[in-house]
Amino acid sequence: METQEVQKQPPRTEPVKSSTLPQPGRPVPSRAYPGALIVVEGTDGSGKSTQLYLLKRWLEIGGYRLHFTEWNSSPLVKAATRRGKQRRLLTPTTFSLLHAADFADRCERQIMPLLQGDYLVLADRYVYTAFARDGARGCPQKWLRNLYRFAPVPDITFYFRAPLEVAVQRILSGRPKLKYYEAGMDLGLSYDRAESFRLFQARILEGYDNMVESDNFVVLDGTLPVNKLQKQMRDIVASKIDLKRFAPRAAEAE
Amino acid sequence: MPDPEKPEPEKPEKEKSEKDKAEKLEKEKAPAAAEPQPPVAAKPAAAQPEEDSSQSFFGEPLVGFDPNEISGSLIVIEGMDGSGRSTQISLLQEWLESEGFSVQTSGLRRSNLVGRDIDQLLAKNAVTRLTLALMYSTDFFDQVEHRIVPALKSGAVVLADRYVFTLITRGVVRGINRDYLSGLYAMALRPHLTFWLNVRPETAFGREFRKAQAISYWEAGRDMSLSHDLYWSFIRYQTMIKREFEAMAKKHSFVELDGEASVPTVNKLLRQRIAEHLGIRGTKYTPSSALAHLWR
Repeated sequence: METQEVQKQPPRTEPVKSSTLPQPGRPVPSRAYPGALIVVEGTDGSGKSTQLYLLKRWLEIGGYRLHFTEWNSSPLVKAATRRGKQRRLLTPTTFSLLHAADFADRCERQIMPLLQGDYLVLADRYVYTAFARDGARGCPQKWLRNLYRFAPVPDITFYFRAPLEVAVQRILSGRPKLKYYEAGMDLGLSYDRAESFRLFQARILEGYDNMVESDNFVVLDGTLPVNKLQKQMRDIVASKIDLKRFAPRAAEAE
Repeated sequence: MPDPEKPEPEKPEKEKSEKDKAEKLEKEKAPAAAEPQPPVAAKPAAAQPEEDSSQSFFGEPLVGFDPNEISGSLIVIEGMDGSGRSTQISLLQEWLESEGFSVQTSGLRRSNLVGRDIDQLLAKNAVTRLTLALMYSTDFFDQVEHRIVPALKSGAVVLADRYVFTLITRGVVRGINRDYLSGLYAMALRPHLTFWLNVRPETAFGREFRKAQAISYWEAGRDMSLSHDLYWSFIRYQTMIKREFEAMAKKHSFVELDGEASVPTVNKLLRQRIAEHLGIRGTKYTPSSALAHLWR
């Protein structure tokens, strides 16, 4: 892809390799492996999934070796999560642990093997979702950080930041009814689902904002037009990651 | 895998330094020099002396829970497969109820939330060790929050058939980082009494085999590829577990009992300690006809 040459974004220091090594001050440890991990984070309605989808399409069309993984999607844990949510059995602690089990399953069986096998891994939500969301539910940060200690540190973490009202409006206008846990009803913030959702999201937003520095988030403005935002995202990816490494192997051979 | 695995250098420097300093200090202070890596040194309470204030827990308190609300007693029975735990718990429950105590029990894979899911994962054997460890912790905390804590608040005696000690040990022998597991269970309630029914793996093997005319995949630790020979796999696995328990026994002041003694003998010792704890005067007990078959 040409973007590699067109580096308009100021490239931030060294790409790839160095960022996969354990780094002081970073919350999640990692060891060296050849692959690269790109993560998107942000509140519901921040536009992160749309952007990651477009990034994935761009890379797919270019023929790059990649794998896409989504928060809370492991088939092993799905039944339990569904049951817990339907019957409202989940407490902040078990909610958090179940999501950690889900993540561990994807991490052990997909993310790590693929990073070791020299793949580009794209993750829609990552451990920071747990830090922000479970933190908003009252789980101690120290406990959460330990819980996810096995997670590899992303090469890039995009944080799509949209003002609370914008994000909340996007969700409320598109959804007939918010689900119980989604709206944070378990926190007892308000009997009104929409209001509860707003208060819950405000806490989560604060949690994300607190991690920007400590976790090296690349902050993007979620209110920008989709294509502009995507352009920024692609430029940053191209500048920070040596994409040639993930080019089609057949082409390399010839 | 960057992980809670054996090699420990994966903690981020910042967090690491403080915690490690505390740990190192402890290790230096206690000149138990025999072991290069005293397995007990990393136990939660030891690693975080600053948090000892909340004594009801190993580390930090459970979210949204007030330890002052507890009036019951948490009594844990630990021991390997075939050590006689469940027999003793049935008998103790009957005895305590005859003494007028309300009794609640708990045990691994008994949560409404994920108990059955774990059974399925185990049956399919399609699960990796960390995921399994986290499913067990979900199962554990679901029982703590929905069964153990409510019972303790109501003043009941909770008899726990295994506890975090088994869960931590199983992870540790599979190479999951000990600190990681201790941190995971930092919000677990500290038991009032912990009994360890200690038996030799060889004895346990015979008892387990008689029970089911077979040894299960997990009891023999076959996921660890210790031996193709079922007997040796069982012995090696249970020996590893036993060693971990020996190390924990002191640290967590286990009451160690000889699990090879007869059921009535072990039961008497259990009753004596529990009676002392609960302030029950007499410890006389003969099982009802319903449980008489256990009394041999």
